Amino acid sequence: MKQLAQFFLSYRLRALLRKEFAQIRRDRRLAMSLIIPPTLQLLLFSVVLNATVSNLKLGIIDDSRTPESRGLTSTLTESKSFQLAGYYYSVQKLGDAISRGDIDAGVLIPFSYAKDLQRGRPVTVQLLLNAMNANTAAIAQGYAEGVIATYNGDLTNGGLHSRFMQVSVSDVSHRGVARLTGAYLYNPGLVASWFVVAGIFGLLLILNGSIVAATAMVKEREAGTIEQLLMSPAGTYEIIVAKIAPLFFLLFLMVLFATAMIKFVFEVPFHGGIVVLLSGAALCVLSGIGIGTVIATFTHSAFQAQLTSFFVNPLLTTASGAITPAEAIPGWLQPLVKINPIRHFSVIARSNMIKGSGMETLWPNFLVLSIFTLIMVSASVWRFRKQLS
Amino acid sequence: MRRILAQTRKELTQIIRDKMALGLALLLPLTQLILMGSAIALTVSDLPIAVQDLDDSPASRTLIDAFRGSNTFRIVPLAADRQPETAFTSNLARAALIIPAHFGRDIARGVGSPVQMLIDASDSNTARLLSGYASEVTTAWNANNGGGAAVAPVSAAIRFWYNPGRSSKKFYGPGIFVLVLSLFPPLLATLASAKEGEQKTILQVYVSSISAHEFLLGKIFTFMIVAFCECLLLLTLLFTYFGLNFAGDPTPFIVATILYAFCVSSFGTLIGSAIPNQAAAMQAVALFGFLIVFMLSGLIFPIQNIPVQIRWLSNFVWGRYYIDVVRDALLEGGGWPAQWWKILIIGFTGSVFYTMAWRNMRRMQLKA
Repeated sequence: MKQLAQFFLSYRLRALLRKEFAQIRRDRRLAMSLIIPPTLQLLLFSVVLNATVSNLKLGIIDDSRTPESRGLTSTLTESKSFQLAGYYYSVQKLGDAISRGDIDAGVLIPFSYAKDLQRGRPVTVQLLLNAMNANTAAIAQGYAEGVIATYNGDLTNGGLHSRFMQVSVSDVSHRGVARLTGAYLYNPGLVASWFVVAGIFGLLLILNGSIVAATAMVKEREAGTIEQLLMSPAGTYEIIVAKIAPLFFLLFLMVLFATAMIKFVFEVPFHGGIVVLLSGAALCVLSGIGIGTVIATFTHSAFQAQLTSFFVNPLLTTASGAITPAEAIPGWLQPLVKINPIRHFSVIARSNMIKGSGMETLWPNFLVLSIFTLIMVSASVWRFRKQLS
Repeated sequence: MRRILAQTRKELTQIIRDKMALGLALLLPLTQLILMGSAIALTVSDLPIAVQDLDDSPASRTLIDAFRGSNTFRIVPLAADRQPETAFTSNLARAALIIPAHFGRDIARGVGSPVQMLIDASDSNTARLLSGYASEVTTAWNANNGGGAAVAPVSAAIRFWYNPGRSSKKFYGPGIFVLVLSLFPPLLATLASAKEGEQKTILQVYVSSISAHEFLLGKIFTFMIVAFCECLLLLTLLFTYFGLNFAGDPTPFIVATILYAFCVSSFGTLIGSAIPNQAAAMQAVALFGFLIVFMLSGLIFPIQNIPVQIRWLSNFVWGRYYIDVVRDALLEGGGWPAQWWKILIIGFTGSVFYTMAWRNMRRMQLKA
């Protein structure tokens, strides 16, 4: 009996599937628009969205004008972090230059710089940072402190060594110091695009999946053929599954294209094997389609579906951590982050590709994605049925 | 003039009657500013770090306490027999601090003791921040602990200008404000113009006595009014929730806002009259208003990081100049001397859009 039911199910389903695939095949434009623009977007976004802080323009007021102060200036500007933008002669001018955006940071070397150093007295130089962008400021601070620490190391190892030893011996105890040595794992070159590309990948899957699914579902209603479909012996589930299948197929093609690009253009290492990544992407596509089908049950035309996605997409995008770290999102938005499929896919993609995490650590993300998809598809089936009666 | 105002009144009535349009005009801009303004931030605090204390001495525990005491770190325990990498692959920690077995003894003997910090660099920006924070904490610990590093020959006194609390909200808030103004007024303008084309009511306009200039100005004024209303709403939000205020002379900001409202409304009207199909016109505006402004105007990430091959494109993005003006008015306070040429560019772009819309309109009129 059960087998018989399954047979009927599969037969009806097969017929519906054939219809949907035939429709999609004829719609060349849709197929193209599903594959080419997202791939290009992935390329463009990942290249453009780059948080690296480098070549900060540094202005200098050197009141000391001695070999020592010039030594500090050249140490500061020889790395890629800071680049010398010019010398200034008054704090007022330097301040104006910072506010105009001509320079990002300014250093004030005091008049007594060289004299103090020679006498073994500690000196303070002032560093002014344009902190408008919090991230740039925090990273610039780290750079500057690192450079000055190196400079100090050179000083104490070099000619000024003995004098500074005297100072330190005279007023402090003999306790040792903790020397922190950092090591960057997984991405020692600190390539910024690896982080962004994985997030954008998920973002595009969900946004494209939802809009395409919504338009495809609404099309039948716009054309008025939805009644004919409903008159057929096929159940609601079958209609929806048949609608989803060809879209899933096309979007999965896009996934393959995008994966190839991530591998060959961005040269992200695939440490975790491709199976976990692709199954994550498949689930992500399905949840995107799920969002689209729900949107479709609320709207009557492709235009309305598009407008509705205008209200939904910003929510999904901002609470996703696709291009900025998800931990930086404030607490009241975190519940949204927890259920956001983009978030879960980007965790899967990043951990799997860059760190080689497998199913044993990523299963919670897979679980959430599956539950999300199930809820979305069931909700659309339920709304669909309700509209029938 | 009377005809322009009549046209404006008609458009405003249409917007007020349309619930979807009202939502697009007022509700969505506000929610987007709150959402994006508070969610976009690159500086993470409360970073989870795993600690492996192989020493378990008083000295090592005070070092761990120094990390625990800072705002930026949260300690996650990690058993001494587990590989730190397992904490990274399961995303439990962003970094691991490993204190060697002889740490306490070394400190007491007065020798330097190496402490290792393994950082998960899959997010390169956070990794960089984390390494900076960690070395600050260690330096502070060394200083408190009476180590030799307390007397560095040269030290930097760092001052953070314009945003001393280094709040991300204050930087991204004005950016999102511009993004919202670049998206919604032109979107509404486009929808209104494309609708005229779609429903062929544009033909009635052609046969009426209203001239192309009057018709266009009427439309543009409407959406400038919409933009001003949005601007006021959003500014209230910026001044309260985001804690911003005018840093200096507000006149450059006011002039720039008027010109920018003209610029984006003309842009919307241009697209709407060129593409007489609401769905397609909407996509075009979303592409330019959102994507291009979002990506190429230095809204989140600095323009200098865009590869040279496409960086020149950002010179043509009108939102870029307005972002600079808004950030200057609310944070830096550079005023006219710093911003005058950007305001000129905004005005120029606006007049180009207007001329294009006008020529397009006249051509269609002749054809019809």
